[in-house]
Amino acid sequence: MLPEIVLLFSAFMVFLGGILLISTKNLMHSCIFLLMCLFGVAGVYASLGAEFLAVTQIIVYIGGIVILMLFAVMLTGGKEFISRLHKVLNLAPLMGDKSTYMKGSIVGLIIFGGLSAFFYQLLKVLPLKEQQVSDYKIIGHSLLTDNLLAFELSSFLLLGALIGAAIIAKPEKVSESKPTDI
Amino acid sequence: MFEKAYLCLLMASFLFALGFAVIFIRKSIIAILIGLELLLNAAAITFMTFNRYVVGKSDGQVFSLFIIMVAAAEAAVVLAIVIRLFQTKESIHVDEMSELKN
Amino acid sequence: MSANETVIDHLLQFEFFQKISTAIGSQIGVSHIWVWYMVALILVAAVITGILAAVGGFGTYAERKISADIQGRFGPNRVGPYGLFQVIADGLKMIGKEDISPNESDKFLFYLAPFLCIFGVVATFAVLPFSAGLTLSKTNVGIYYVVAISSLVGLGIFIAGYASNSKWSLLGGMRGASQIISYEIPVTLSIMSILLLSGGLSFEDILANQTAWPAGWYIFHNPFTFIGFFVYFVSVLAETNRAPFDLPEAESELVSGYHTEYTGMRYGLFALAEYMEVFVVCGLAATLFLGGYHVPFDIGKGTIFGDILQIGTFFAKTLGLYYVVIWVRWTFPRLRVDHLMSICWKYLTPIALFNLLGVSVWILFFDGKSILDLFLSAISSGPVGH
Repeated sequence: MLPEIVLLFSAFMVFLGGILLISTKNLMHSCIFLLMCLFGVAGVYASLGAEFLAVTQIIVYIGGIVILMLFAVMLTGGKEFISRLHKVLNLAPLMGDKSTYMKGSIVGLIIFGGLSAFFYQLLKVLPLKEQQVSDYKIIGHSLLTDNLLAFELSSFLLLGALIGAAIIAKPEKVSESKPTDI
Repeated sequence: MFEKAYLCLLMASFLFALGFAVIFIRKSIIAILIGLELLLNAAAITFMTFNRYVVGKSDGQVFSLFIIMVAAAEAAVVLAIVIRLFQTKESIHVDEMSELKN
Repeated sequence: MSANETVIDHLLQFEFFQKISTAIGSQIGVSHIWVWYMVALILVAAVITGILAAVGGFGTYAERKISADIQGRFGPNRVGPYGLFQVIADGLKMIGKEDISPNESDKFLFYLAPFLCIFGVVATFAVLPFSAGLTLSKTNVGIYYVVAISSLVGLGIFIAGYASNSKWSLLGGMRGASQIISYEIPVTLSIMSILLLSGGLSFEDILANQTAWPAGWYIFHNPFTFIGFFVYFVSVLAETNRAPFDLPEAESELVSGYHTEYTGMRYGLFALAEYMEVFVVCGLAATLFLGGYHVPFDIGKGTIFGDILQIGTFFAKTLGLYYVVIWVRWTFPRLRVDHLMSICWKYLTPIALFNLLGVSVWILFFDGKSILDLFLSAISSGPVGH
């Protein structure tokens, strides 16, 4: 019973957040609606019986990625800067013109229709049964036995990303003398 | 059960289409990153749904975990690149990044 | 799933409750099961929100009273006996204030930010173990959930700072976000060292191996957890923006930081969120390190009386830590912002990492026994045992 309520609520959040995300012009608001969308996704995981995955989704996306994005939007000036460079796009900052918008929406609709039809046919064929989803202890065990290689590789990837990001974002020592506004 | 599974997959296809559309429409690198995150999430939901209703056990869940991990690594690097680009080119508009064109 | 009970499942077993929801269901014309859930959800939410508001409100009262005591003043003493109704007076005043938002602010984000803060805090109460009976949701990823959902507070602070469009707010928000993100690492690492001992993420697992007596608490389990407690406590002081780490709202430099531009109840929500978060982190410290709700000799286990005793124990430990937090605030001067970051990255994080390693080595060598167990077995085996 509760899983159904959670599922419906998260579906509402995902759809509403997604539509608002693409229709708003402000990048900062876009990030907030992304957060709403991802929160909905976490709810979907929880309703599917994978609490560990749901909480991981929250901790990685909301505690990490969205805050990073907001930081990046703020450090790169957000909408004001772009509108200064591109006088034409002043009305719709960070958005393509109308034709791009239309094309993008149509492509999106086609993909949505195609995928949902495909999944409908697929689900009709597949034998559906509510399976037991394993909890975090079994996942941890499988990460260190069956999926050990992927686990170790992912730790390398994360380390590489950490060092790479630090090196890329490091400001140059040369006297650019551009005052940062933080 | 069919309805629940289909709702989850509907969400996945919605997020996939949305991510595609965002990458098409938006002109900011950060917005494109948002689109990428949506695509990855769509894939993760699909894995989790089939894990729940078809396969069972932990395989799909582990895959979703790895997807989240890749998304985190990717976001960190992309945002570092964005900051760097802003320092050198004073813009994060994709149309400005045409150094290698021609 | 039996592992994931919620308080709603308990409520649904009461006949009286079922009768009410069936009556409502027949009135509206929907299946009564849905009504059960909805009524139960709303009921639980209302009760919890009321208790939380009281916790937050009396947090402000305690802060003023204790600070007055430390500074040799009386503190609030006009409204009601000992000034106890000062909380209500403050609340009424805040609700009565005009709701101002700056002209140039980002209205949507400006209005959203306090709710993000308060949501991040209130959601953590869903899994906090007040007693064996009164845990709202017995999920099997309890502590992980708390760590995750409380990161919304940092987001709320950052957005508040950005949306206000004021330099002080912006500086406060930036400091708040960077501070919270940085200090999450030592907090999580010291929690992880406890999780190694407990062998599970749920609060039940964490509490199962602890006893009511201090010798059975995780803080006295081995030297590493003893250090870990202090690392945790210092880090959560910074994570909840309490003094001496209250740089996001440093009055002497930033007016009042990220909530400079907020008025009335919106400001009140930030203050409430802060006090409630302090309560949550103190409760977590009590559960993780200080034995949680365990009562000596398991008096009245499984009965209502026992539950009340357990709630009393939990609150006594939590409020004791709360007192220490307030005491620290009115005793120590504020840090400088670069010192704050160097404390986190140069001292607390390495110490927490070392603790994690130390605890795992301890488990490997001593088979997870506590220092007292080792001592007792050494005595009983005698000085010429080997």
